[in-house]
Amino acid sequence: MSAVPGQPIERDSPAGAVRLAHRRRAQPNGWWGMALFLCSEVTIFGTMIATYFYLEFGVHHWPPRGIAAEKVAAPAIATGALVATSVLVWFAARAARAGARGIVLWSVGLAFVVQAAYLGVQVALMSHDLEHFSPRGTAYGSIYYTLLGTHHAHVLVGCLLDLTVLWFVARKGLTNYWLTATRNLALYWYVINTLAVLVLLTQLSPSL
Amino acid sequence: MATVINPRGQQYVDLLDRVWGERRGLVGWLTTTDHKRIGIMYFFTALAFFGAGGVEALLIRTQLFGPHGHVLSPAAYDQVFTMHGITMIFLFVIPMTTGAFGNYLLPLMIGARDMAFPRMNALSYWIYLASGIFIYIALAQGHAPNAGWFDYVPLASKTYNPSINIDFYGWGLIFNGISSTAASINFIVTIFKLRAPGMSLNRMPLFCYAFLAVSFALLFALPSLSVACLFLELDRQLGFHFYDASHGGNPLLWQNLFWIFGHPEVYIIILPAFGIATSIIPAFSHRKMVFFPLVALAEILVAFLGFGVWVHHMFTVGYATVTTIYFAAASLIIVIPSAIQLFAWITTIMTGTPQFKTPMLFIIGFIVFFIIGGLSGVTLAAIPFDQQVHDSYYVIAHFHFVIFGAAVFPILGGMYFWFPKVTGKLYHEGVGKLSFWATFVGTLVTFFPMHILGLMGMVRRNYTYPPGLGFSTLNALETVAAYVLAAGLLMIVLNLAISYFKGPAAGNDPFEGDTLEWSTGSPPPPYNYAVIPTVTSPYPMWDKQDRELDNKRLERGEGVLALGHRTPGTTVQDARLDEILNMPPHSIWPPVTALGLAGIFAMLLLGHLFIAAGFAAVIALTLIGWHHHGVQP
Repeated sequence: MSAVPGQPIERDSPAGAVRLAHRRRAQPNGWWGMALFLCSEVTIFGTMIATYFYLEFGVHHWPPRGIAAEKVAAPAIATGALVATSVLVWFAARAARAGARGIVLWSVGLAFVVQAAYLGVQVALMSHDLEHFSPRGTAYGSIYYTLLGTHHAHVLVGCLLDLTVLWFVARKGLTNYWLTATRNLALYWYVINTLAVLVLLTQLSPSL
Repeated sequence: MATVINPRGQQYVDLLDRVWGERRGLVGWLTTTDHKRIGIMYFFTALAFFGAGGVEALLIRTQLFGPHGHVLSPAAYDQVFTMHGITMIFLFVIPMTTGAFGNYLLPLMIGARDMAFPRMNALSYWIYLASGIFIYIALAQGHAPNAGWFDYVPLASKTYNPSINIDFYGWGLIFNGISSTAASINFIVTIFKLRAPGMSLNRMPLFCYAFLAVSFALLFALPSLSVACLFLELDRQLGFHFYDASHGGNPLLWQNLFWIFGHPEVYIIILPAFGIATSIIPAFSHRKMVFFPLVALAEILVAFLGFGVWVHHMFTVGYATVTTIYFAAASLIIVIPSAIQLFAWITTIMTGTPQFKTPMLFIIGFIVFFIIGGLSGVTLAAIPFDQQVHDSYYVIAHFHFVIFGAAVFPILGGMYFWFPKVTGKLYHEGVGKLSFWATFVGTLVTFFPMHILGLMGMVRRNYTYPPGLGFSTLNALETVAAYVLAAGLLMIVLNLAISYFKGPAAGNDPFEGDTLEWSTGSPPPPYNYAVIPTVTSPYPMWDKQDRELDNKRLERGEGVLALGHRTPGTTVQDARLDEILNMPPHSIWPPVTALGLAGIFAMLLLGHLFIAAGFAAVIALTLIGWHHHGVQP
C-alpha cells in the first residue's frame, strides 16, 4: 500500500497535509466527530427553545407582568457581529486547506477578537437584565437566563477553541491534525452562529 | 475458514506484534486505547452493576413475597426500586450492549484495527465508571435517588424531596450521558469511516446496522434527558421554576422531556439485542439472513419511529384525545418494522438447518419473550386499556418482557456465542443449556403473573400489600421464580468463569460464523488482523476465496500496514480506500479527564459552583495536553 494517499509521514508535514486534504474523497474522521457532536448540541438548543415556547403557551402573560419585553437593537447588532465571524472562520478553513498558515492565524485571531467582544457585550446585557428580573422569580426568567447562559457558554468554549487553534497552529504549523482542527473550528462557529440567531429570535419573540 | 499464518507472512505478524504490543499490568489497563480491552473493562463493570441491580431486584421480590413484608422499610424500598431501574438501564444494559459488545466486536466485524477515536473511547469508559460510582455513593450513604427511575416532579422537587437523593440522580445521569454521547459519536464515525475496503454499506453486517441505529438514537435522545436533569437541578439547587406550576412552570414539562428521551431509550436498549440475534441466527441456522435489506431498514426505522411515540407513557395526564390518538397510532406503526425483523428471524431459522446450541436457545427465548412483550405493548397502545392498567403491575410485566426477556436474553446468548472468540476457550454446552432453561423458566414465571396481578389492581411501587386481595399466591410464586432466575444467571457466570480456566481450546471459528471476527485469532491480537481483510459480501467468513486471498496478501506484505498503529480510512458509502490513519497507542489523558469531570459533578452536587469551575479549568488544561500529543484525526 505504499502508493496509498495519506501515509503518516506525509500527514505530519504541512505540505503533505495540504496534498492529503485535496486528495481525500471523504471528510476526515475529526470533521465527522465535530459534526456529530454539534448534532447533539443543536438538539440541546432545540430542547431549550421548545421549552421556552412550551412554557409560554401555558401562561396568559409572556413575559409575566412587570417584566418589560426585551429591547431589540443591542442584542440584534451584537448577534449580527457574531454571525459575521462566520466569514472569517470560513476564510481560515479555506486558507488551512491551502496551507496558508498566516491567513489562518489572522482570520482566527480577528474572529476571536469579535467573538470575545460579543461575549463581553452579552454578559453586560445579561447583567443589565438581572437588575430587572431574576431567574428565580418566574419560569420565564428561568428559561430566559438558562437559554442565554447556555448560548454564552458555547461562545466561551468557541473562544477557547480559537485560542487553542491559534496556539498550536503557530507552534506546530498546519499538520493534518491542526488543518482538520481549523476546519472543525469553522464548522463549530457556523453552527453556533446559526444557533445564536435562533436564540436571538426566541429571546426577542415577545417584542417582535 | 480461519486465516492461517504461513512462514512468509510470519515476519509481518512479528512486526505487528512489536508495534502493537500493549503495556502490561495496571498501567496498561489504565492507559489502554485498545477497543477490545476497553470492551472487556466495560463488560466486567457492567456485570458488576448487573449484580448490584440483581440484588436490588431480589430485595424487591423478597419484600413482596407475602403481605405486610418487613424486609425493607418504605423509604428503603423507594431507594431500592429506583436504583434497580437506574442501574439496569443506565449502568447495565446500555454499557453492556454498546460498551462491551459494541466496543469489542464492531471494529472486528468491519475489519478495522480500532475505533475511530481510541482515546475518546477510553474516556467514554472512564466516565461511565466514574458516573456509576457517583450514583452508587448515594446508596452507600443511604441517600440514593428515591422517586423512581423516571423521577417525576413534583415528587422529585425540593419541596417534596428535600434531601440530596434526587441531586445524585440529576447530576449522575448528566455525567453518565456524556459517556454515552461520546460513545455514540465514536460508533457512527467508526462505522462510516473505518470499514475495510470493499465493505460498502450494503455489505455491512446487520449487527453494525443495529449499532448505527442505536448510536444515532442515543445522540438525539440523550440531550433531552440532560436538559431535563439540568432544569431539575436548577430548580432544586438555585430556586428556578421550570417545573413549578405556582411560578409559571409546568410539571408535565419533565414528563415530556423525560419520555422524549425515554421511549427512544427502549429501542436503544433493544436494538443491540436485535443486532446480536442477527449474528447468532445465521451462524446456527447455517444460512444467510432472509430479507437482509428489509431487516437493515427495519432496524433503522425502529430507532427513527421511536422518537414519535413518547406520549403513550402519558395517556393519563389529560391531553386532548386528538393528541393521544396520534401517539397511539404512531406506537402501533412500530409493530411493522418490529414484525419484519421477527418474521425474518423465524423464517431464517425455519428455512435453515438450525442447531440448537446454547446461544441459539437464548435467541429462541428472546423471540418468545419479544412476542409476549410486543403483544402486551400493542394492548398498551390502546388508550382506554392503557388508562385502565396505567401504573399497575401489567406495565411492569410488559416492560420486563421487553427489557429483560427481549434485551437481556440476546446479551446472555451473545456472551456464550463470543466467549470462545474473546477467551480462546469453549464453554460447557450441557451447563449452558441448563442455565438457559433456568433463566427461561425463571423469567417466564417471575414476570408473566404480573400481567394478572396488574389486571387485578396491584399498583406498582407500593412497598407491600395487605392480605385478602388475592395478590399473595402469585407474588410468592414470582419471588420463588426470581431466585430460580438468579440461579440461572449465576450458572452462566460460573460456566463461563470455569470454562475460562479449564475449557478446551476453541480455535478461531468454532461455530462457523459468518462475520469477520471469526477469521482472526481467539483472542484476537491487539491489531485485530495481520492483513486488512478483503470483503465482497455481508458474509465475509463464508467467502472462502477472500480469506485465501488474505493469506496470499499477507505473504506479499500487502495490506499489512505494520509501520505504526495504522488502519485504513475509507469512504462513507462505498468503503473505497481513502487514506491510512495513524491511531494513538495509549494515553493517560482519558482517565485523568474523567477524574476531572468527576470532580466537577461532585462539586455541582455539593453546590460548590466555583470549585466546579476550577475543575473545568483543569480539564481545559488536560485537553491541551491531550492535543499536544495528538495524532492524526
